[in-house]
Amino acid sequence: MHGSEADAASVLFGLNPMWVAAVLFAITYIVVMTEKVNRAIVSLLAAGLMIVLGVLNQEAAIRGIDFNTIGLLIGMMVIVAITRQSGVFQFLAIWAAKKVQARPWGILVMISLVTAVTSAFLDNVTTVLLVVPVTLLITEELKVSPYPYLFAMIFSSNIGGTATLIGDPPNIMIGSATGLTFNDFAYNLTPAIVVIMAATLIPIYFIWGRHLKAAPEDRQRVMQFNEREAITDQRLLKQCLSVIGLVIAGFIFAKALHLEAATVAMTGAALLLLLANFGRDAEHQSKHVLEAFNEVEWITIFFFVGLFIVVHGVDGTGLLKLLADKMLALTGGNLTATSMIILWSSAILSAIIDNIPFVATMIPLIKAMAPTFGGPEGLMPLWWALSLGACLGGNGTLIGASANLVVAGFAERAGQPIRFMQYTLLAFPIMLMSIAISMIYLYWRYL
Amino acid sequence: MTAQTLMNPHPMTLRSSDTVATAADHILKHHLRHLPVVDEQGRYLGTFSIYSLLKLTLPKAVLDKYGLDHVSFITENIGDLAKRLGGRREDPVKNWVNVHDVAHPDTPAMEVMLLMLHGRTTSVPVVDKTNDRLEGIISFWDVLEKLMGESA
Repeated sequence: MHGSEADAASVLFGLNPMWVAAVLFAITYIVVMTEKVNRAIVSLLAAGLMIVLGVLNQEAAIRGIDFNTIGLLIGMMVIVAITRQSGVFQFLAIWAAKKVQARPWGILVMISLVTAVTSAFLDNVTTVLLVVPVTLLITEELKVSPYPYLFAMIFSSNIGGTATLIGDPPNIMIGSATGLTFNDFAYNLTPAIVVIMAATLIPIYFIWGRHLKAAPEDRQRVMQFNEREAITDQRLLKQCLSVIGLVIAGFIFAKALHLEAATVAMTGAALLLLLANFGRDAEHQSKHVLEAFNEVEWITIFFFVGLFIVVHGVDGTGLLKLLADKMLALTGGNLTATSMIILWSSAILSAIIDNIPFVATMIPLIKAMAPTFGGPEGLMPLWWALSLGACLGGNGTLIGASANLVVAGFAERAGQPIRFMQYTLLAFPIMLMSIAISMIYLYWRYL
Repeated sequence: MTAQTLMNPHPMTLRSSDTVATAADHILKHHLRHLPVVDEQGRYLGTFSIYSLLKLTLPKAVLDKYGLDHVSFITENIGDLAKRLGGRREDPVKNWVNVHDVAHPDTPAMEVMLLMLHGRTTSVPVVDKTNDRLEGIISFWDVLEKLMGESA
């Protein structure tokens, strides 16, 4: 618990701060869910009201913002914004398709793997924005329906994103709040993710994969793609790959070097900006730096800022501690039962609501359980349950994660719309299967 | 001077149900760059242009707004491009129009020039404000002739 009585300014009209905070928090959730008002506006306004109504003062509000999460997100977004210009993602997709002689099912597997691995290191939305266009081109040339490919890509982007500290916002938040490192995430989550990825491809094979066929001459056309030509800028590519290599090394050795993830990502971003702009005159530098900064998803960033303040305000009133106690009373303080409840409720809720506010709320709630489970060390299974549930749950419906909506947008424009119910009927059971695998994994490894 | 005085009130137009093949014939025969497309009520739906023909030779995945910004890795020959265009001959033109910024009959001449400059187009459709009917087309060449005539 980082909130304290000293943080609270005096609440207006003598209202109970816990109630003010709870009502503001509930309204924020509901308005974000309806999507009638942009989520950044909602969270910033709610954060402002928290301060104006005296639930917490500005100093406490700023302390509530997790700048490690913000810095890590912005740093990685800048690195990706520059790297995408090199054409390396198109290269990867085409290379993967040719490795399997442009066989339709082989391509589906390869594209899924490229998406999963890329999502593990980059933002999921960016990944699908880069890989979907090539995939659509390939399916068009092969004269096969893009639907199964896009379906598989939604799943692989969310599954891949779960594997590492930097793959998905929930992991970034959990890592930052608990001090769990890049290596901790890789060591504890990646094995489960490999199994889940493989298991997800099985139903996709039986539903669509075994029926996918392409004529030899159409496959020949894809085989004639020259992936080397997809690389637009060799020099930039080398710079990007070097910096990404350094950044990942930085994450791996962060603990030994006493560095936080945001420092690694932001320094990497600054270094790449320096290399990419080296030798350019002042005017061109400004233009290119501004372009890179414009690619940062400011809506997400400001949504985080507001949300951290709102959750900190709620936390400071003791409401989350109260909820944690209720939950523990329900499970009788049993670690297995608590893990399972967190896993399944995170999954089902994340399929319907945005997992970012959910995880932001769960973090202080789980932290409040530390005394029951013998200190922060005892909470490990709960963090992995939260991460697996919140990240994988996003696959359940079309609105479960932002990457899903981006893929659906492409599908719509390509004249192959992914319908909400049609998607949910297949995706929800496959998502539940991935949670069942996670359950077995957690049980086997930690409980 | 307004759009009304600059425009050609009887431009060649396409019906929304006309096919790509018909449009291509007109464009080739008359060396036109832009053909406005109207529905049965004469309402402006968009413009079929030489750029529409270029698009028709390309894969859809390239044309998406977040699509591929370069395709130098595809090694297709002119025959492949022609085959793709050929496969779309019977498509209605309305699927391939671009909706340009339009002028209204009372739009001032300078605004029309600015529309051409910003839209990088040589023809501006003139559309009735209330019922969206196409009233005429302002071609860059008509404007230029008027300008040169005045300055001589």
